[in-house]
Amino acid sequence: MALSGIQIYKMLPQINCKDCGFPTCLAFAMKLAAKQVELSSCPHVAEDAKAQLSEASEPPVRLVSLKANGHEVKAGNEVVMFRHEKTFYNKPGLFLRLKDSQPAGEIQAAAAEADGYCVNYVGRDLTLDGFAVEAVSGDAAAFASAIAAVRQASHRPLILISTDSTMIAAGLRAVDGENPLIYGANTGNWQAMTDLAKQHHASLAVIAESLDELADLTEKIKEAGVKDLVLDPAARDLSQSLALNTQIRRLALKKNFRPLGYPLISFPGEGSDPAQESVMAVHAITKYAGFIVLDHFAAETAYPLLVLRENIYTDPQKPIQVQPDIYEINNPGPDDPVLVTTNFSITYFSVANEIEGSGIPAWLVVTDAEGMSVLTAWAAGKFDAERIAKTIKSFNVADKVNRKRIVIPGHVAVLSGELEEELPDWEIRVGPREAIDLPAFIKQVL
Amino acid sequence: MAEHIITFENNKPPVTVATGTLLAEAIQQATVSLNQPCGGQGRCGRCAVRVTDGTVRSRSTLRLSAEDVAAGYVLACQAVVESDAAISIPPQEKIERLLTTDLVSAEVEVPAGYDPHKVQNVRRVTLTLPPPTMDDQTDDWNRLLTALRQQADFGTVQASLDQIQGLGGVLREGDWRVTATLDAERWDCPGCPARLIDLKPGHTPVETPLWGIAVDIGTTTVTLWLVDLLTGKVLAQVAEYNGQITRGEDVISRVIYAGKNNGAAELRDLVLTTINALLETACKRVQAQPCDVVKAVVSGNSVMMHLLLNIRADSIRLSPFVTAINDIPTLTGREVGFNTHPAATVDCLPGVASYVGADITAGVLSSGLIDTEAVTLFIDMGTNGETVLGNRDWLVTCACSAGPAFEGGGVLDGMRATKGAIEEVWINGATFEPTFRVIGGVKPRGLCGSALIALLAEMALTGVMDKGGHINTHRDHPRIRDGEHGPEYVVAWANETAHNRDIVITNVDIDNLIRAKAAIYAGFSVLAERVGVPLEMAEQVLIGGSFGKYINVEKAVEIGLLPDMPWENFHFLGNTSVRGAYLALLDREARARVKASAARMTYIELSADNIFYDAFTSALFLPHTDLSRFPSVQAAVVS
Amino acid sequence: MAVEIPKDSWAGSVRVVTLGATPADGGTRSHTIMIGGQNTLPFMHFEKSTPHRPVIAVEIKDRRPEDWSGLLLEIWGDAANDPATWAKQAEVASADLLVLALTLTAADGSPTTPSMAVGAVKAALAATKLPLIVLGPGQADADNELLVPVAEATKGERLALGLCEDKNYRTIVAAAMANDHCVVARTPMDVNLAKQLNILIHDMGLPLDRIVMDPTTGALGYGIEYGYSVMERLRLAALQGDAMTQLPMMVTPGFEAWKTKESKFGQDVPETWGKWEERAINWETLTAMTLVESGADVVVLRHPESVRRVHQAITDLMTVPETV
Ligand code: SF4
Ligand code: FES
Repeated sequence: MALSGIQIYKMLPQINCKDCGFPTCLAFAMKLAAKQVELSSCPHVAEDAKAQLSEASEPPVRLVSLKANGHEVKAGNEVVMFRHEKTFYNKPGLFLRLKDSQPAGEIQAAAAEADGYCVNYVGRDLTLDGFAVEAVSGDAAAFASAIAAVRQASHRPLILISTDSTMIAAGLRAVDGENPLIYGANTGNWQAMTDLAKQHHASLAVIAESLDELADLTEKIKEAGVKDLVLDPAARDLSQSLALNTQIRRLALKKNFRPLGYPLISFPGEGSDPAQESVMAVHAITKYAGFIVLDHFAAETAYPLLVLRENIYTDPQKPIQVQPDIYEINNPGPDDPVLVTTNFSITYFSVANEIEGSGIPAWLVVTDAEGMSVLTAWAAGKFDAERIAKTIKSFNVADKVNRKRIVIPGHVAVLSGELEEELPDWEIRVGPREAIDLPAFIKQVL
Repeated sequence: MAEHIITFENNKPPVTVATGTLLAEAIQQATVSLNQPCGGQGRCGRCAVRVTDGTVRSRSTLRLSAEDVAAGYVLACQAVVESDAAISIPPQEKIERLLTTDLVSAEVEVPAGYDPHKVQNVRRVTLTLPPPTMDDQTDDWNRLLTALRQQADFGTVQASLDQIQGLGGVLREGDWRVTATLDAERWDCPGCPARLIDLKPGHTPVETPLWGIAVDIGTTTVTLWLVDLLTGKVLAQVAEYNGQITRGEDVISRVIYAGKNNGAAELRDLVLTTINALLETACKRVQAQPCDVVKAVVSGNSVMMHLLLNIRADSIRLSPFVTAINDIPTLTGREVGFNTHPAATVDCLPGVASYVGADITAGVLSSGLIDTEAVTLFIDMGTNGETVLGNRDWLVTCACSAGPAFEGGGVLDGMRATKGAIEEVWINGATFEPTFRVIGGVKPRGLCGSALIALLAEMALTGVMDKGGHINTHRDHPRIRDGEHGPEYVVAWANETAHNRDIVITNVDIDNLIRAKAAIYAGFSVLAERVGVPLEMAEQVLIGGSFGKYINVEKAVEIGLLPDMPWENFHFLGNTSVRGAYLALLDREARARVKASAARMTYIELSADNIFYDAFTSALFLPHTDLSRFPSVQAAVVS
Repeated sequence: MAVEIPKDSWAGSVRVVTLGATPADGGTRSHTIMIGGQNTLPFMHFEKSTPHRPVIAVEIKDRRPEDWSGLLLEIWGDAANDPATWAKQAEVASADLLVLALTLTAADGSPTTPSMAVGAVKAALAATKLPLIVLGPGQADADNELLVPVAEATKGERLALGLCEDKNYRTIVAAAMANDHCVVARTPMDVNLAKQLNILIHDMGLPLDRIVMDPTTGALGYGIEYGYSVMERLRLAALQGDAMTQLPMMVTPGFEAWKTKESKFGQDVPETWGKWEERAINWETLTAMTLVESGADVVVLRHPESVRRVHQAITDLMTVPETV
């Protein structure tokens, strides 16, 4: 159960010595309640309080991380059912499945294409996270060479898929020294799989048709010494998997039910076409999957999924920023107006949407105001004449337009004087305070 | 149908009415005048009368206290005649007191057992020095020191050059009888040498007051109390808008202004002009001279303190928001620029953080928060909307920029609560016609904070505007019109006002007010959430702020400015900042406790916090988007 | 190990709003559409059954929308020239109901007149038997001028009229009240604002079961997470018993998605975006599905292929798993 700031405070020494780097014990307690500091920062906590407090901070969903050659995919450590309650922390890893029945050359080519795929979204480079190689041939050598083919093309983390432990053993040998995710253990093979996972320090996915069985299995495997587990409740249709994923997350978070306190793995592409796979993947992303294994790869399906994952996993507590830039809205030409705003995404979107909706072409210059809205940024000194001038200059706005004129938000009308000094050959106009009034302003005033 | 005779106490002829007649109608039949500002809806409580004999059936006593009801008061507009009855109609004045006594703080009371000899560090003593002779050629200074030691028990004493320069003259002019004022045994330096503040020829009579001032520099309003340090009595209280207002209405704009060429010096001059003018006014009232003032304690938010002393304030505004100094050393009148005695002790109270200043630490002291066991919410209803939550064990605090709206700033016809300000308003739900009360009973000049709160509540309740604060322009009514600033409601027509202009409230004013109240409400609700103490756990709500004492608590709850709690949990303390300064002015222990409370407060930064933003938008509604937080308002709307 | 399934039980439920009226109720529709009624989070069939599935509205316009993406104009072809034909085509594309969005101006640039608006609405009503939502052009004055005559001319049809916004709701609400219609209340991606507008509209006397709220969304990549969380929060509040949020939600992923560069344009875009048509449909479908997961009761779409995919997915989501 999460403790409140005051509850934690009562267990602290209450001497306000500042050794933890915070001005008072209460300030530290609130940071601790928000899980933003470590208990160990306070050197003066009594032993019994320490025990109680660290109990309260253990994560309900275990963190499982797959590492390979400098790449890392983490899943778990989640603390909420809904992103608005705090945030979703670890984006689900997106893996592409390749099967050892394909010729090695094809596997390598497919892996190379997916591995090299990188799309830019608001200044971030988005890629897939790794590959799942499945043994369907029944031939250990074929499996090993398929894995080798993938490794030729990509250094990203791997998931090895087979319920046959001899296959997995062969696969593990093929990537000796790595700790991939083994998929997976079921009631039939769990002992052998557990041994392999232990030997290779690999994580292990656990597959079962019911939650009862799943919980039994994880307990046994944990007992046998493997702790980094991943769950597959084996549902492949939308409705069922939504229900199961929700139940598992609830059990972990609300009931602190440790046997199901592990990240989930999803296979949205199994038995479906790429279009349906995307739809299934939506729900895997929004509803709690930690690893997602896709069966199809194409830019036009990967791009929207990668974006969705970014969106759902942004921290809702933090204002989201858009990339400072000069944005073209409705294909502006050199005679169209230049508007200035901040890079707080809500601010940006409300301005951009209004203009876009009106059909008026305009240049929208987004200034780096550290993700604050116009007024807040101005108050904090992050949206001042100097910064605006710098942005105008650095994006060479002057080269794009015939008339050197910018429109600043009405809330910062006070800046116009200083801006005239900073941008001597520019005309500074004060626009409306609210974005909604922009189209009318542009039509009537400019 | 049965008929009943209603008799009146004041010799008016009795009337006969049928069962079921409203008492208000019966009173009207008797041509006794009875005001019904809310139009007889049982909302304003102004039609209260006392039934001295017989019984009536009351539909609602919502506006009456339990004592009122016990004493036989009923709302005439809500009472139905069921038998013969005798009615006493109190004069208007009496009702007002009745309705407000429990909400108004008492006049300034001198702390019980105040003994300047024990707790006051500034002392005035009369001395008689032996004149020098050929046998005793002791120098003047040592002569004075000896007298101070022998006659007043002062050890070492320090003086400034100009005091030494004037020394010989003063001693001889007074024929070796002098009156010295010294600052000794300071709170922060118990063993330090005493400092000579003033030396006058002759013996000042003991009953002559020893003047000190307590000053609160608010962003919008500056308040000054002139105090006799010997008796502890406050002999004059004056207030005026802070002269810096013309350079920005909130602290942020002031800090930005101060950063400009000469801006800091200008702001300092402006506030000094305001303070010195107040000092002058206050002194005039009691026939004192500003230069007789020997001690000042100053309170105010961190920005005001920095600007008064011309200390760079930029860092307050910029992340991570730190002040240059929270704890200012003791200064003198001359250094600060006060027209007090140049050597007067000037003590600036300590702050906690950029946006929680001395005004709040002073408030924590004067409100009693620092001593109480009960979890208490303390709200300073000023421009910066600071809030403190806690008790004597823990204190958390935050600030949210509420703006000057409730002090009348940024509102078209807003003004301070002085003579000529409308302070109460009721709107008749059927006719949309307002009734108002003006401070001083003169023709009105504008609307003060309490009127603005009342207006908001009444307009929302009667449907002049919707709960989102949009004036209902679909209603065809002469008082609702499109003005220069958009839709507006006319509170007083030009022919009723002192300046022959209409007094209006515009939609822009309403937006500002709603934003202000939302900021304050969001501030304390987030504070409570962040420490994990539900707001309901607060056992009392203490309200400070220069206009705090005029607020009608019910209206303030109706608009969602204050949390919905039983009335008796609210205590209006007026300007707690100046009161804290006053206590520190009198008592060095109180001064030390201000310091202690500052050290104990945990400041919580609300800016850039989505939780705050969310709480804020949900409070941008009347009373609140989440009506379940305001059960009593909900009940009132339903009834 | 017997794992006890944690089931939420909620105090509140979403109101049912009925769109469209059959002749028996004074309208001309062949059937009505009921939305809302849930008292679980979306598709939690193991807790309570979901009384009404989310529905798909297809957006049509009163005249050919030249500013729409070429992909859309191409797929609808000549049908887009005429609201009646378009309505029929939309029905063929398996729309559950229609959204007719009025344009601000006629093709010649002159303002759309009330009689033109009424004509388009009547044509759409005559062409299909589906319930209809009518949206004004989105400017307060024009909305009021067009929607009032539309409301009067279709009295009893139980249309939903929109968009009511906090600064302009009185006229539309009054028209809906007088003519037995519903309204769509739109607020910009904020839980509180959504609730506030519902209160304001309800304060005018319109029963809550005639309000559909549109909490607004951004498209995928353009703020969808705000829309997503706002809808989750609104639905949670409704289930927790907050009466003023217990209204079905309509969102416009079609409009939002087709505004984005990703959907609108096939040229001058990065190669890493992949093939245009599939990408565009994906954009609309994924935007819609994300919102369906968070509680949308009506999704307004534009492309027939997106309609098909979303329809299929909703059917899948509505299937009650055997194990339940
Ligand atoms: S180090 Fe520990 S005792 Fe010291 S202030 Fe921080 S929390 Fe309190
Ligand atoms: S309460 Fe009776 S007139 Fe207002």
